Formats: sequence, C-alpha cells, structure tokens
Amino acid sequence: MSGLRQIVAVGLIGIGSLRERYATALVVVVGMACVVGVLTSMLSVTAGLARAYLRPEDAKRAMVWGGRNTFDQSRSLHPDAIGTILEAPGIARDPDGKPLADPEFLMRIPPVEGFVAGSLQLRGVGPAGIELRPAFRIVAGHMFRTGTRELVVGVGAAGKFGLNVGSEVRLRDGTWPIVGVFSCGADILESYLVGDAITVMSARRRAGFAQVIVQLVDAKAYPAFEAWLTGNPALSSVYVERKTDYDLRELGMNTLFFTRMAFVIGAIMALGALFGVVKIMSAAVRARTREIGTLRAIGFGATPVALSVLVEAALLGASGAFIGAAVAWLIFDGREMWVWGAFKLRVSPSLWVLGLVWALVTSLLGGLYPALRAARLAPFEALRAE
Amino acid sequence: MKFVPLVWAALWRNRTESVLTLLALSVAFALFGTMIALNAAYERAIDDARMDRLIIACAFDCGAIPLGYREQLARVPHVTAVGGQLWLGGHEQDEQHPITVMFVDEGMRSAWPELPMSPADWRAFDANPSGIFLSREAAARRKVRTGDTVAVNTTFGSNRADGNPTWYFTVLGFMPDPPGWKSGAGTPAWNPDTIVGSLRYWENSAHLDERDIVNVMRVAVDRPEHAREVCREIEARFTNATPALYCVPARADAQEMADANINMRQISLGIGAAGLFMILFLCANGIAESVRERLPEFGVLKAMGYRDSHVALLVILEAAVPTLVAALIGVALAWEVDALIEHLALKGVIDMPEMRTSFAAFGWALAAALLIALVSAVAPLLRIRRMDVAAVITGR
Repeated sequence: MSGLRQIVAVGLIGIGSLRERYATALVVVVGMACVVGVLTSMLSVTAGLARAYLRPEDAKRAMVWGGRNTFDQSRSLHPDAIGTILEAPGIARDPDGKPLADPEFLMRIPPVEGFVAGSLQLRGVGPAGIELRPAFRIVAGHMFRTGTRELVVGVGAAGKFGLNVGSEVRLRDGTWPIVGVFSCGADILESYLVGDAITVMSARRRAGFAQVIVQLVDAKAYPAFEAWLTGNPALSSVYVERKTDYDLRELGMNTLFFTRMAFVIGAIMALGALFGVVKIMSAAVRARTREIGTLRAIGFGATPVALSVLVEAALLGASGAFIGAAVAWLIFDGREMWVWGAFKLRVSPSLWVLGLVWALVTSLLGGLYPALRAARLAPFEALRAE
Repeated sequence: MKFVPLVWAALWRNRTESVLTLLALSVAFALFGTMIALNAAYERAIDDARMDRLIIACAFDCGAIPLGYREQLARVPHVTAVGGQLWLGGHEQDEQHPITVMFVDEGMRSAWPELPMSPADWRAFDANPSGIFLSREAAARRKVRTGDTVAVNTTFGSNRADGNPTWYFTVLGFMPDPPGWKSGAGTPAWNPDTIVGSLRYWENSAHLDERDIVNVMRVAVDRPEHAREVCREIEARFTNATPALYCVPARADAQEMADANINMRQISLGIGAAGLFMILFLCANGIAESVRERLPEFGVLKAMGYRDSHVALLVILEAAVPTLVAALIGVALAWEVDALIEHLALKGVIDMPEMRTSFAAFGWALAAALLIALVSAVAPLLRIRRMDVAAVITGR
C-alpha cells in the first residue's frame, strides 16, 4: 500500500473512532471555537473601522494641511491660501472644469444630553465635498442649501444621538435645523453633521480650514503635486500627504491598541487550547494504542500513523474554528458600534481565514507531540497494552 | 484527611496529562484574571472620578476660556473653589519627542486637590514659577533630576513675548503618578506624561494676546448632589457669553468617556466568560475521563463500605484541586499579562485606566474554579451512583 493510501486509511480509521471519543473531541472543538470566536469578534471592530476609514477612491486623493496641524479640528489653513492650492498641477476637474478639491474642517459642537464633549461633530464642506463622496445620498428630507443655516445629519449620528429631520442643534449663533439625513456608503462621514463650510465658519467666527481634500488625475500625479505645493513661496506652511496615509493614521489611532490586544488575547487563549490539544490527543493515542499496534504489525508505517494523528487534530481544530467564526459572524457581523464615530462590525472573509489558520496552527502544534508518540510506539509493546 | 492519598494518587495517575491539564487551566485562568483586572480598572476609573468636581470647557469651537471667568464662576451658589488649567505643547530634542506641560493656577489647590501635589510643592511654585513637577514615570523616561532644565520647543512658532520659541523649565521635584487614566504615548503632537507647571510662568512670559486664558477650568462644589444643578446654572449664566461654557461633573465625564470609546468593560466580561467556558470543558472532560477509567476502583470503594457522599467528596476533590491550583497560578500570571496589556496601550494611542490584579481577582477566580469543579463533577457522580457495583468489579 502506498504511503498516501496508508495515510488516508489510517486517518479514516482514526476519524471513524471519533464517535467513541466524541466527548474528548468536543473539548478540542469547543476550545478552538472559543479561541477563534474571541479573536474574530475582537478583530471585527478593526475590520469594521477599516471599512469606514479606508475608501477605495482614496488611492487617488491627497490632503493639504496648514503646517503640521494634521488633525481634522485644526483651523490652521487660512482661506487666502485656498486659491493657490487649487492651482496646483495634477488636480482632477469636473465636467465644468472646476477643480475637484474641497476645503473642509471638523468642528466640535456642544454635547447632546448624556454624551461626552466631542461625540457629535460637524463637518463643514464646500460644493466639491459632495462630488468627492460619490456614495453620498440624502435618505430623508433634503440637502442643506448653500449660504443658509441648515445641516444634514449622517445615519450613524442620527441613530446614536436621536437626531432626525426637524431636530435642532445649538451652535454659537443660535440653533440650526437639521433638514436632511444622509448615508455615505458606511463612510465615517455618516457619524457627523454636515453643513456649508463658509456659513458654518462665519457662525463660529473663526476663519480657517483644517485641510483641502484633493482628487488627483491619477495616483502618479502626487509627487509633482506635493513638490509644487511645498516649494511654492506663496504658501508659507503647508503639509501634503496622500489620503491613504491619512486614513491609515486615523485608523491606527482608533484601532492600534485594540488590534494588538486582540492578538495578545488570541495568543493566550491559543496557548491554553494548545495544552488542551496535547492532552486530548495524547489521551486519544493512549486509547488507540492497541489499534495503532495492530496497524503497525500489519505493515503500516510510522509516518502515516503520525500524520493521521495530526490530521485528526487539524480536523477538530478546523471544526472549532468554523463554529467560532460562525458564532462571531451571527452575533457581531453588521452590528452597529460607536467609537468616536459610527461603524458596523465586520466578520470579513479574511477574518474567517485568519481564524482557520490560527486554529490549524494551534491544533497542529498541539498534535505534534502525540503524533510523535504514536509514531514511536513499538508494535509488540502496543499490542500488549491494556 | 483519609481521602488525601486517594485524591493524590488519582491526580498523578497519568502524570503528563495531569500537568498538561494544569497548564491549560492555568493559562485560561490567567486570561480570566486579566479580564477581571481590566474590567475593574475601567470601573475604578469611573468610581475615582468625583461627582463634586466639575469640568468647565468652551461650549463651542474656541479652545480657550478667559481667566476672568474665574471670579464669576466662584460666585455661583455651592461653588467652593475654581482653578484654571492650560496646556503648552511642544517637543524636546526633536519632533519625535513631544512634551506637554500642564500649567495650573493656585485655585487648583482647592478645586482639584486630587492632583498629587503637596503644600510644599505649591510653595515651591511661588518661589520659582518656571519650575515643574514631573510624575515619576515622566521623570524616569527623561532621566531628569531635581535642578535639571527641561526645554520645550513650541512647534508652531513662538508664543513667548520675547519671541523665543523655547520655554525653559527647572525641575523642582517629582510627584506620584496620578491615579486613574493613563494616556497612550500617542501622536507626534501630544505626549501624555504628567508634567505640572505654574500658570504664573505663562502669565509672565506669553505673548500679551495669549495671556489671561486657560483651556479648562475645574470647579469644586460643596456636595456631590449639587453638581448637576451647579452645572446647569453655569451653562445658563454663560449661554450668551463669548465664549459660552459647557459644564460636566468629572464622574459623568469619565462615564461618558468610557461609553464613547470601545466598551472594554463589556468586552472583558465576554472574553472572561469564554475563558471560563474553556475551563469548564477541560475540567469536565478530565474528571469524566478519570471516573470512566476508574469505575472498578469506585466499585471496590463502595463494596468496602464507602458511602455515596464519601465517593462524591472524592470526585469533587479530584475535580477541585487542579482547578483551584490553576486558578491561583493563573491569577498570579495575570499580573504579567496586565503589565503587557498596559504596555501595549501606552505604546498604542489609547487612554486606559491603570490595571491592577487585586485580591478580589483571586477571590473571583477561586469561586469560579470551585463552581466549575462542582458542575464538572455532576455527570461523573451520576454515573457512579447508577453503576452496578458487582458488574463493575467482576468486569461484566
């Protein structure tokens, strides 16, 4: 019998005997389900936030800031600098020939009752701001009118703060009505109020934008665009970065610790599960000692026997991983969460794969020692075992 | 005591598997202990924040409050003290080493007595307004001693009246690391170390148009139950002022801050529960397997006159001993895991409360271990109770 056929035959015998050992097998499955369930549940936060921050269209975008104040609430980009920035080479243009670039800012507004300051924020955007966000849709009411004291609210902020068409928000110069609710393809913008940048700026009585968001003709246009701006003597202090770099920075600020913690906890749980797998698979080898001895006596090699133990461990681990990921998906996928912004948790296909790999590595490492023990069993001693 | 040799022998019947079970249980309990500490840390951060301390900030997008508001705030009924707080951000050697000095005024002695500064420290500020006190962690990171000079280079031009972009401070001493929240090492523009300076230095040296402002004011009220009422009164009095004010009790602020971020309290409970579930399965499997393999032994014991309660005690002890030992080892290991998670938080950009594995964690772990041992022993005990002693002994 060839080696491969031997492996299949021994593996099938081992799997067939799982019915008699279902309770012990269940320990590996449940343990691995817990490991993968916790890991994928925690990482669904990161995956959800990644979807909110990393937009495919951002590959061709750049951000121009007023110096190193690279945060959305900054006001360090003076309005006088905007005209010069819009003359930079490489900026894409709309059908009317206007540059696809929008000076914007984010502004904290007084907290709604029961929420911490900074929870609810208002984004000031210009006419190009909506063009730059092709997923932007008004889902209730209407869009704010330029030059008027009107706001629209994202679906995330609307749900979190109980705001809707007709609600009013207190700003410095009085209350502003919410005239519409918008969605934006799960973009983080859905967590904000949005209003006309110039009108909001006059209401807050402080001039200055945070950044200009620019659509480039293509990603290759970025170096020339950056060089033109940073070398322009008319612009005293600007900082330019790719939008994707900004996205990663923002995402990192929100998720770096949590992602690392997910992996640390996943590793600790996997270590516990690994000891469990060694114990359970050792017990399985002990229970199958005579069976293994018989197989060895009739000509089966040590390698197929060892591999059958590893295959069994891997199968149990993979089953646990599937159950764990499925439970995490059922409970968390699509569930709304708020971490300084609304987003939906996501148990993505890559997380399923990660969970499977995590479980397989743990199970195979755990199965290694029992597999070696099985391979080293001398047939005559194994046949004598009680 | 007569059961001890029996339990001991049963536990070491298969040495390798017993050690592996103990290791697996210990690791799972380490996770459980860490989650208990994490949960407690977030709860404590909220509990530590006092209801009778109010935080006053700009209601709108302004960032600065005139220092002149101090007297008006002091006149609000039930207010006992008002203090101002202003941050100076910059960097030390280069932009990779950000530093932030928190200037406080004299009013903070009463408005924020939780700031761990002694009366002697405050007197030292009087004698040397350009002095600073560093938390022990901040001092250790910079390797500074009393009398050393710390330079803060303001990143975005000078805000000093003399045009110098650098502020020089003399280290006056050190203070305990403030309890509660620890901030992440964060962004190039922000450093979370606690470094306290005197607002008088700012008032004497800043540009004229940047003086007489603070970022935040802290107010102490006579009784916690007056906090909400005082906040409402402050917001009403300053509604039409420029800037208008926003007021929140420190405790409510801590609660809202915890809710606005990733809810670590809920998450820690979920992970802890998953850890316990793993422990339950491991323990239940271990004891079930042990009883199954030793049914003849239990048959002999019953034939010798051991009562069901004695056999039950034997089985429960056999389940409880490794679980309790693992709980103790695991929670002791959790100290190290706590330190690792705190390290990750500080290396990352997140504010998190200080984690401490307490005796309560040992209590919770031991209680959980005992409960799991009892639950694990139920099915094997039922099996022993139902067994036919004669059949088991004769091997039928």
